[in-house]
Amino acid sequence: MKLALKRFLPFPFITLLLLLTACEPENTPGARAHQQGKLYIVTTTGILRDAVANVVGDQAVVQALMGPGVDPHLYKAALGDLQTLREADIIIYNGLHLEGKMGEVLEKVSRQKKVWAAAEGVPEAQLRKTPEFQDSYDPHIWFDVQLWSQAVEHLSRKLQEQDQAHATQYQANTQRYKSQLDSLHQWTTKEIASIPAQQRILITAHDAFGYFGRAYQIQVQGLQGISTVSEFGLQDVSSLVNFIVSRKVKAVFVESSVSQKAIEAVLEGCRQKGHEVKLGGTLYSDALGEAGGPAGTYMGMVRANVTKIVSALR
Amino acid sequence: MNIDAFWIIFTGSLVAICCSLLGCFLILRRMAMVGDAISHAVLPGIVLAFLFSGSREVWTMLLGAAALGVACTFLIEFFHKKALVQADASIGVTFTWLFALGIILISVYAGKVDLDQDCVLYGEIAYVPLDLWLTETGMNLGPRTVWIIGGVLLILLLFISLFYKQLYLTSFDPAFAAAIGISTTLWYYLLMGAVSLTTVAAFESVGAILVVALMVGPPATAYLLTDNLKKILVISSLLGVIASAAGFYLALWLNGSVAGAISAVIGLQFLLAFVFSPTHGLISRRRIRTAVARA
Repeated sequence: MKLALKRFLPFPFITLLLLLTACEPENTPGARAHQQGKLYIVTTTGILRDAVANVVGDQAVVQALMGPGVDPHLYKAALGDLQTLREADIIIYNGLHLEGKMGEVLEKVSRQKKVWAAAEGVPEAQLRKTPEFQDSYDPHIWFDVQLWSQAVEHLSRKLQEQDQAHATQYQANTQRYKSQLDSLHQWTTKEIASIPAQQRILITAHDAFGYFGRAYQIQVQGLQGISTVSEFGLQDVSSLVNFIVSRKVKAVFVESSVSQKAIEAVLEGCRQKGHEVKLGGTLYSDALGEAGGPAGTYMGMVRANVTKIVSALR
Repeated sequence: MNIDAFWIIFTGSLVAICCSLLGCFLILRRMAMVGDAISHAVLPGIVLAFLFSGSREVWTMLLGAAALGVACTFLIEFFHKKALVQADASIGVTFTWLFALGIILISVYAGKVDLDQDCVLYGEIAYVPLDLWLTETGMNLGPRTVWIIGGVLLILLLFISLFYKQLYLTSFDPAFAAAIGISTTLWYYLLMGAVSLTTVAAFESVGAILVVALMVGPPATAYLLTDNLKKILVISSLLGVIASAAGFYLALWLNGSVAGAISAVIGLQFLLAFVFSPTHGLISRRRIRTAVARA
């Protein structure tokens, strides 16, 4: 058997080595960016892509690995992603375990390439954290517009260090974008505050809106935890039903990435208790909407979410 | 890209050989799905490792996963021997129970933490070339995964070539093995220890679906092509290597998931063998039947 293995094993490997003269793709976005002498920046999520694009304008090419509507917790890599990451001059990810195992891989890549985490720009004291465990921060920092603005500022500073030729332009872009984010923050605060205080309760399928609730003083109740394997329990449903009925909540929300079934069980439970609660619509949580659509940018996504929440709860 | 392609196919091939070799013995024992069982049963190990250490760091997760992988195979044997249930039923009961335990642990203690096999344990074969092993001086020793899986393969090759007779007899004819004084229980546990080690290391490197597919597909295909166990071992390893290479190029062409493409090629190999195998294939069997009818 040892003999047989020895006889057979070298063949496939030699053929492989010969096969490996596969063609080198030349017309990739990265190659085109380099031909134009521009930086090629790759981000994990579309939300990050939008932030970076607002800083660099058209001085660099920015591309996201994950498309619209993709849950970063469950993202499955395609082979082309490796090529994209290889060509990237700078890789930007969210951090705080949003990207799961992929985040760990990117950390390893940081020994050889510029790899930055957006969450590094947010002071640790402002991160939401599960008290029982160290190293378990809530990664959904973009739901608090002010925190996100800090993360953008951080990325912008690093970009200016990296690309000094365009630093002043990046600085100006960042200032403009930050002032837009500021007014978005004020608008959101005002809009949410226009919901009467006792109706200010946001019920969603999974726990992504923690930062949103903290920043804009709206109580957030998720049906299931952050992890998507731990499905909702029967007791979770019934206690949520009791909560909705007792607080007379008008509407609950679903998210694109989590099954509607869970929230439908809650709706049915409320109906049986004689409380009519309606579906407030689908909120964007971990990904942007279709590019070019109203929720295709970060600011558009926040506005779309806030408009849905306010019109359903007021 | 060329060196990346080499590392991905090379890693795929190493994993393929490890899994196929073990899979041949597992199929003989009617325990082919033990790989799938372990992929689920590691969940409570991960959760417990996290609850004790508070970290989602890879070595902690591996340790928890490996402990539960071994525990899972031990429980399977325990229920099979002591409760006298069928091996497949024993596998089913054990891993669903352990997986459920993991889910309960998460929902009770760690509901606010993103914790499941997908995000803390399962690797992605496309990223293998990115995770390099650099020495203190910055020397590049190639992907970390290649060293880990290479080490596992070396241990397996030693194990199987040194103890081929024991593994073969206890798998094929346990009664005879016991009669000539080979402990079936000991060799079962040694084989299952090897299976747990291999699957957990491979999950961390290339993800679960690929490991499960490689553990069942190539051996099952090889069984359609020959009846000699030694040949089966060699053929299934070769099939696994071919599937890794073909799957890689399929994924390159489709710009899709590498693990998915390799698993698809494995399925295709099985279908081809099912139809065209000279001894067990559909066509040859029909020919034999008509020949017999005529005679």
